[in-house]
Amino acid sequence: MEASVRTVKEYILEQFLPGESPDNLTGTTPLFTSGLLDSIASLQLVTFLEQEFGIKVAAHEVVPDNLNTLESIAGFIRAKRS
Amino acid sequence: MDFEWSDQQLAFRDSVVDFARRSLAEDIQDREKEGTFSRTLWQRCADFGIQGLPLPEEFGGQDADVLTTMLAMEALGYVCRDQGLLFSMHAHMWAVELPILAYGTDDQKQRYLPGLCSGELIGAHGMSEPDSGSDAFHLATRAERREDVFVLNGTKTFVTNAPIADLFVLFATVNPDQGMWGVTAFLAERGTPGLSVGRPIEKMGLTTSPMAEVILEDCEIPVGNMLGREGQGAPVFNHSMGWERSCILASMVGGMQWQLETSIAYARERRQFGKRIGDFQLVASKIVDMKVRLETSRLILYRAAAAQATGKDSTLDAAMAKLYIGEASVQSALDAIQIHGGYGYTREYGVEQTLRDAVGGRIYSGTSEIQRVIIARYLGLSPLK
Repeated sequence: MEASVRTVKEYILEQFLPGESPDNLTGTTPLFTSGLLDSIASLQLVTFLEQEFGIKVAAHEVVPDNLNTLESIAGFIRAKRS
Repeated sequence: MDFEWSDQQLAFRDSVVDFARRSLAEDIQDREKEGTFSRTLWQRCADFGIQGLPLPEEFGGQDADVLTTMLAMEALGYVCRDQGLLFSMHAHMWAVELPILAYGTDDQKQRYLPGLCSGELIGAHGMSEPDSGSDAFHLATRAERREDVFVLNGTKTFVTNAPIADLFVLFATVNPDQGMWGVTAFLAERGTPGLSVGRPIEKMGLTTSPMAEVILEDCEIPVGNMLGREGQGAPVFNHSMGWERSCILASMVGGMQWQLETSIAYARERRQFGKRIGDFQLVASKIVDMKVRLETSRLILYRAAAAQATGKDSTLDAAMAKLYIGEASVQSALDAIQIHGGYGYTREYGVEQTLRDAVGGRIYSGTSEIQRVIIARYLGLSPLK
């Protein structure tokens, strides 16, 4: 698993889903559209990504394409850093 | 840490106080009783530059920093007894002007921001529905894409400024199965076929700030009037709420200053049992509490506003400010009434109005309970599962 995915996965499990089995959170699990995470979590997640990976998330980038799965988040981080 | 305002900011604050004393300090008892909005006072504020404070000069704004804007709104709340007018202004600035500035296309900004700045256009923000308030994203209003328009159907309630608004920011879902990511924001102009405003809703306080339902029946909104992207309504709404929670109670803080000064003056003048009532500890203690609440409210207000201006996530600061000031303004209003005794209970003194105006602060822009939920989440408590 890509390092950034592991980092984000650990953050989500610890911050929002304590006690949840890590096996239940895969690279393609829909985080927001499934109702697993809510809008407050989206704000906290964006802050975490900015601080952890040194990226700046613009207002128009807070969309499901970038944030709804661990894989899409990893792709978003890669694109921002390249 | 420097808590001092600059000479320039203090001079600006003095100019706002002077403006408010000359142009806004009318007796509003009758208008407050009837619930009548004053377009005249709205325009005076716009001509002075209030509505344009947070907007760039290219749109006719003052390009003021957020702390200076808050200082102005606090000053208005201190002098102007028409808290309803100020509340309407807050809703217009934080929930209409700023989301257009942040998420609008260049065309949308050019079309709407100058008018919103100049007083010509009044904005309204429609999110709540009869069956979705705190559970905001569980809305039922649907937006169906048909070629180059979205067709909206549904009802929005508790829409501040709706009876007088020219421009509405409305939220609808394009796909309920997507949850918050199906929610999309739209800009709708008054007079759009299919958009109607219900009868005015009478409120306990802030009576001069008009409120009504907005009914959407096959209302066609051009695709070019989508605010932000399809499915981006949640971030647009959160953006508005961040600003509202940080800033909307600035005028209440000014009102708390008025309550304090009024209560001190009354306590120094009113005599019972041979001495000033302010010399009794039980009365003085209330005034002390009012003072501490006022200063704490100021600190938390300006801290939240400063955090909001950084562009970083300031949700926690905003929630704490909203919670604290919302509760504090109610308690201080109760204390002010108590200090004034029977006179405080009458309409004539204007003190009872401050309580009726303050109670809404525990409800709008997210209830005190919701603010507590948000704060708990940021403390690592109240996990989602």
